[in-house]
Amino acid sequence: MLKTSATDVIPEKKVEAKQKSKFKLTANDKYYASIFAGPSLFLLGLFVFYPMFRTLYISLFLTNTFGNTTLFVGLENYVKLISSPDFVSSMWVTLVYVVGVTFFTIAMGLLLANLASQKLPGIAIFRTLYSVTMGVSVSVAAIFWLFIFNPSAGFFTLLTKMLNLPTINWLANPTNAMWAIIITTVWMHLGFVFLVFLGAIESVPTTLYEAADVEGVSKHYQFFHITLPMISPTLFFISTITIIGSFKSFGLIDLITKGGPTNATNMLVYRIYNDAFFGGNYAKSSAEAIILTVIIAFFTYLQFKFLEKKVNY
Amino acid sequence: MSKYKKLVLPLILVLAVAVVAMFGKTLSTKSATVKDNRTEVVFWHEMGGPAEKSLMKIVDGFNKSQTKYHVVPKYQGSYDAAIQKILQTHGTGTSPAVFQAFDISAAQMMHSKFTVPVQDFIDKDGFDANKISPVARSFYANDGKQQAMPFNTSQPVLYYNASLLEKYGITPPPVSPSYSDITRVAKQLYERSHHQVKGMTVQIYGWLLEQAMANAGVGLTNNNDGHTGIPTKATINNDASKEFFEWIRENQKAGDFMNYGSGAMAGTNQTTGFLNGKVGIYIQSSASISQLNKKNKNKLGITYFPHPDGKKANGVAIGGAALWISNDKPKAVQNGAFEFIKYSLKPEVQAQWQKDTGYLALNKDSQQTSILKGLYKQHPESKVPSQQLQEAVPNHFNSGILMEGMQKTRQIEQFAMESIYNGGDITNALKDTDKKIDDNLTTTNRANGYH
Repeated sequence: MLKTSATDVIPEKKVEAKQKSKFKLTANDKYYASIFAGPSLFLLGLFVFYPMFRTLYISLFLTNTFGNTTLFVGLENYVKLISSPDFVSSMWVTLVYVVGVTFFTIAMGLLLANLASQKLPGIAIFRTLYSVTMGVSVSVAAIFWLFIFNPSAGFFTLLTKMLNLPTINWLANPTNAMWAIIITTVWMHLGFVFLVFLGAIESVPTTLYEAADVEGVSKHYQFFHITLPMISPTLFFISTITIIGSFKSFGLIDLITKGGPTNATNMLVYRIYNDAFFGGNYAKSSAEAIILTVIIAFFTYLQFKFLEKKVNY
Repeated sequence: MSKYKKLVLPLILVLAVAVVAMFGKTLSTKSATVKDNRTEVVFWHEMGGPAEKSLMKIVDGFNKSQTKYHVVPKYQGSYDAAIQKILQTHGTGTSPAVFQAFDISAAQMMHSKFTVPVQDFIDKDGFDANKISPVARSFYANDGKQQAMPFNTSQPVLYYNASLLEKYGITPPPVSPSYSDITRVAKQLYERSHHQVKGMTVQIYGWLLEQAMANAGVGLTNNNDGHTGIPTKATINNDASKEFFEWIRENQKAGDFMNYGSGAMAGTNQTTGFLNGKVGIYIQSSASISQLNKKNKNKLGITYFPHPDGKKANGVAIGGAALWISNDKPKAVQNGAFEFIKYSLKPEVQAQWQKDTGYLALNKDSQQTSILKGLYKQHPESKVPSQQLQEAVPNHFNSGILMEGMQKTRQIEQFAMESIYNGGDITNALKDTDKKIDDNLTTTNRANGYH
């Protein structure tokens, strides 16, 4: 037995070795690999990896007026940040924003996509209307919504005055400002998310619904037990990019609230920008950037670990 | 054959890079060509809109008057962004010879040692600086030495809707009002319009809090607002700022106060509200005058910045920006930069500048020019900010705050204003503000090696 098994093993190893040698790069391959991958590796190194490590390096120092590192302080920047109520509140605010934006974007996107997937005359008009925000740039959206939120002459103010309701000062009150930003961001994201969901719903085989109809299953049940599982890869993709995207949200905040009032919309990314380019405190903002990176990496890891298991490819 | 083949790809890449480089080169040389033999003086500025147009007139006027120098203006975006650009490009080929940097960056610019004090040129040239407004000069001076020359200079003033006051039979506030003078007008306006018009607003803007303290003769930091040493501690938690906030709170309680928040459009919304007669009184830079005169169907009223009750106004500091001369350019270019500064301060140039923009003419002789006399005839209220500027006697507390990290400080002040406007406790908010500014100061002073 032993003998035979030993002899069995040896040829296997040989085969493995042979296969490996098959994939071994020849000098010629290496040459082409470096030609093709070299420039992009060089650019990535210059514009992504170098700044990344530089950020980590700066975060361990204090920086002077010119942004030069002057005093090595180890983890002091991190300790100060984590113990500062301001920064902790920024983290909470970001979390609330990310959860709010992701939830409402996906819920609204699914609802609209489901509605627009009905075969009805004239439905193409709605499909166009729902996806139209994809063509709107952040600055245009911000100006548009600022007109709506204007406390003296905005659309909402006029509406509430007409209905004799108490007027809401959208951007001056911390809670309302958060809602204003969430509404605006959801509106911005909705066009793209709607389109992707619509594509996914359209690609679900109609035979499944026909079979369900034959069984007399309700539309409601069909949506949760056929549509949702069938589009779960898309759902996973959208939730991942929406979460990462809203963590990195910047334009709307800069153009609408500037992080205020009382830091109620001062998300991490905006804080990083603010501390570096207004405060001139590059060390602090580098530390913040590193913390943000860790948080995003953590969330992405969680998603892949727990959510991906539920995805049917 | 294979050897040639190997060369093809890198060759294409190299060629592509070369083409891009050449194309870039031709573009850059095109913009840098000088039409004549005059020395080129690169000038960075941050004036947009109508002010930019007016500034270009000054530059053109200078260039036409010159055989030796030629100023090349370059727009750099917002004040805030320009500071980092100026600091980061110093000593490189792209850096400016003369640049405009805003009020609160004065300490940063001074400590950078990237500039030549304007005083050096004044002494050499025999330029009579006494003609230039002393309050404006003292803002950019240290130890009696002029570091930069004030250029676009504004004063915070109080605007009111004179037509509305007339309509409701309200006596206008005096030229130098106290807090309670303004409260009276605001409350009357709100009551008599049956709550259709809000009485007043004070924008959430750190500058206004600083001016309230300046006008009360109180400093924001120790060491006399940085004029007698590097500031190490904030002193915002004082009676003057409390009085300022209690004034606002009183009006909030009466219902006549409008809060426009601190968003990106807060300033615009406030101006729109004022122009549409939705709010009767607001405080803003005098640089808004020309805009308010152009688009206003109502009569405009202007007073000085309000002061605490029972106290004489100490005068407010100026706002705006100054012109600095970089030390990384040859002597000839530096001299050209000073020639340009001198030109920009001529009585007629300053008078036209005030008429076009609302920034105040700094040269005392400008008031006698036909340009300003004509303006005052047409809009008598435009004279008020200039009077406020002339009346103020410079001291430590109305000459700005010579402290690094003022941009961050403004944000911290705004945080306090936001929390107070939303009902927070005044003393706690001010204590918190001091603590945050102290933290920043400690870090800044440590990082820069100031002890």
